[in-house]
Amino acid sequence: MSVTLSRDSLNLSHELRALTGENVLLCYQCRKCTLGCPSAYAMRMKPHELMRALQLGLTKEIYWSGTIWICLSCETCNTRCPQDINILRVIDGLREMSKNFNYYNPYPVIPSFHRIFLALVKRFGRVYELGIALMMNLRMLTPFKDIDMALPMLMKGKLKPLPHRSQGRKELQQIMARIQKLEGANK
Amino acid sequence: MMRYAYFPGCSLSSSGYDYDLSLKYVTKALGIDLVEVKDWVCCGASSAHSTSHLLSIALPVLNLSHAEKEGFDKLVAPCLACLSRFKAANVELSHDANLKKKIHDVFDYKYQGKVKVYHPLEVFLELGLEKIQARIQKKLKGLRVACYYGCVLTRPPKICQFDNVEDPQSMDSIVRALGAETVDWSYKTECCGVSMTLTRSDIVLKLSNDILREAKEVGARAIVVPCPLCQANLDGRQRQIEETYKTHYGIPILYFTQLMGLAFGAYPKEVGLQKLITSPREVLGTLGLM
Repeated sequence: MSVTLSRDSLNLSHELRALTGENVLLCYQCRKCTLGCPSAYAMRMKPHELMRALQLGLTKEIYWSGTIWICLSCETCNTRCPQDINILRVIDGLREMSKNFNYYNPYPVIPSFHRIFLALVKRFGRVYELGIALMMNLRMLTPFKDIDMALPMLMKGKLKPLPHRSQGRKELQQIMARIQKLEGANK
Repeated sequence: MMRYAYFPGCSLSSSGYDYDLSLKYVTKALGIDLVEVKDWVCCGASSAHSTSHLLSIALPVLNLSHAEKEGFDKLVAPCLACLSRFKAANVELSHDANLKKKIHDVFDYKYQGKVKVYHPLEVFLELGLEKIQARIQKKLKGLRVACYYGCVLTRPPKICQFDNVEDPQSMDSIVRALGAETVDWSYKTECCGVSMTLTRSDIVLKLSNDILREAKEVGARAIVVPCPLCQANLDGRQRQIEETYKTHYGIPILYFTQLMGLAFGAYPKEVGLQKLITSPREVLGTLGLM
């Protein structure tokens, strides 16, 4: 792949720095992030390649690879980075920014999971494990996925059929609404 | 008596019910008072920080505010996902004035950052191994286990400020104090992949298989964990892992609090051992522990 650089190539890294405070230009490609990453084997663009692509401003390639959604948020890369770049914060920044772009995402079910998770939390105040599993199964068109795991857990009372409701959910809904308003106003 | 605000987190009221039960048994036996935070809500876990940074700080702050208003300066979070979100919120608020202002703008109550966050392991180590040993009625002689710490108990060290980041020893020292033997192994802090348990089960099965295989190779009869998510993954998916990788493990995945409870003389039911999917009956039964 040939890359043509221009002044605009730095826009992405600058935007990301404004959002997260992290400077990706510090990366010198030692690959410690990739070597320690438990899900790098499943990434089309490895973590160190992601850092290089960020430096070069390859926004489309980054989103198309879907790497930001395969990251498990295990914090190994941050811990080991000799330049002290918080790579997970960078990835979270890219996840946050993905809403502003309209790029193809090879793994759309993963952001869907986060949306459904937060919608259920907003409704009940707490995670509804069985509910989110059923909704994800429907979303992925695999209604019976993991039924072999869920049944013994249901039998042992480790999965509750009904959601727990927290009395704090009204306050939570208020805070979530204020944040949404604040973040909407910044765009 | 040591008194802490208690944030059980969503898992401990369903899939991690046995963790909650055994933790309460052990803290009671050691004279530690856990008071559940009133009207607590979900910490947001991975979904919040993958969606909005402000939201990922706001949800822990909401719960910390409740504890602070009730006059607590210490909070215990037994789930690692909650724990790491709470610790991150405290550290980031104390370092980032801009973020603090934003948080104060969306909250009516202004959180002062006075509530320190602990994992039960930190609480027990602060109490001291001698106090734990003094409470033992039945030594766990002959039991050989692998302590699995998961991702975010020690990582990143700037946030967690607890134990050795790459080779933690806290749980090993407690389990050894109970009379059991712990193994040296290299998967202590490898991720089990639980954040994608519903969306990319293939990754979860591979990572969890690596952990189970290594534990078996070093001769551990059980894996001991400090987190309800690791437990649900390694125990709940063990059958699937065995089918996928054409192997057999049958390794029970116990909470460290269950082992403490057993050593303190609890009946298996009092610490929820019957709730485990992979039964510990064979491993613990042959040693006369169950």
